[in-house]
Amino acid sequence: MNRQHTLTYFISSIFILAFCVFVNAQNDSIPSTVKDTIIIKEKYGLRIGADLSKLGRSFFEDEYTGFEIAGDFRLKKRLYLAGEIGFEEKTTITDYLDITSTGSYLKAGVDFNLYQNWLDMDNMIFFGFRVGASTFSQNLNSFTIYTTDQYWSPQLTSNDLQEFDGLTAIWTELIVGIKVELVNNLFLGLNAQLKFMGTETEPDNFGNVFIPGFNKTTDSSGIGVGYGYTLAYRVPIYKKNK
Amino acid sequence: MKYLKILIIPLILIAILSISCERDDICPESTPTTPSVIIDVFDFTNQESRKNIFDLVVVGVDNDDILPGYSFVSSNNLVLPLKSTENTTQYTLIKEASVNDNGTPDDPTDDFIDGNYDTITLNYSRENVYVSRACGYKTIYKNVTLTIEEDNDNWILSQQPLNPNQSVEDESTTHFNIFH
Repeated sequence: MNRQHTLTYFISSIFILAFCVFVNAQNDSIPSTVKDTIIIKEKYGLRIGADLSKLGRSFFEDEYTGFEIAGDFRLKKRLYLAGEIGFEEKTTITDYLDITSTGSYLKAGVDFNLYQNWLDMDNMIFFGFRVGASTFSQNLNSFTIYTTDQYWSPQLTSNDLQEFDGLTAIWTELIVGIKVELVNNLFLGLNAQLKFMGTETEPDNFGNVFIPGFNKTTDSSGIGVGYGYTLAYRVPIYKKNK
Repeated sequence: MKYLKILIIPLILIAILSISCERDDICPESTPTTPSVIIDVFDFTNQESRKNIFDLVVVGVDNDDILPGYSFVSSNNLVLPLKSTENTTQYTLIKEASVNDNGTPDDPTDDFIDGNYDTITLNYSRENVYVSRACGYKTIYKNVTLTIEEDNDNWILSQQPLNPNQSVEDESTTHFNIFH
């Protein structure tokens, strides 16, 4: 009796083991070449948008007027040719200076998408580089002499308008940001820019306090910062398999 | 590796934010701005040696206040700010000054300063020079002349600019010597 039980146990164990091997063997025999047959196409096209933050600031800030059109064109799976063109007018008022800077700028470069999209999603987390150039003018509306000694105060204040025309600047930019497809072909983007001044025309006995496209300059370094909040529409031109 | 790339983005964003928040609108004290005229005081009889003026009071002409730092002091060096609004600045230098309470020790409003009053006049032309975004413009002074106004009892006996066509563009060197 006991012996028979042992035998039954042994046989069934063998059977189970054999089955396992059989199942494994069958798994191995499934050809691995069978793939998802859905082919995902990626859209390639020209994306054109406007900077909402500049529009908003133009509306809400008395001392600022600006507009920017941004565009990019998809060259490769992850590589985009990108550029911006814009106009800005900004009045900088400090305790000692009152300056209006006006001009336009052009920026061109590439964006590189770091984001691995699922299926047919088309979002971007990107970084990129730009070369920017601006032609602008500055009007010195008024200034007050700076001195650390206020024994003879008030100091001289000049209200004679001085105009500095034909100024130029060239700089490079590092840009990081995201672009999210809200609805088909409509994108919302957010980006931040770090700018490094190359060359600028130094006006005679004056300084460039604000350069359109480069934004506020600093005394201590040639570094500028900026941000953008863009709404863009993509004109699809062709599709490519993912 | 892919996560590392994604991590870079917030790092760059933080860097950008911290740079943009850096205060750049305050003129640093180390930046030379509008200079004052620096006058060294020498002994008239021994023109090589510095000589203190005792109990000195310096008051700008048409200014109600005593120049800060020159209220009953002994000094052989004067640092006088110049007006940025006019081409002339005058100072009254009072030697051996003392407060005369005008017979009313309890009432300081009618006090006046006793001593030997001498007035110096500084004439110059002005130029406004751009310094920086934070500091704006400074005034520098060209063709500065120092004149001792004649009175019956001058204690400042002579003056001498250190350079012909003396200009006051910074505070790195002395601009005038006076002798008493």
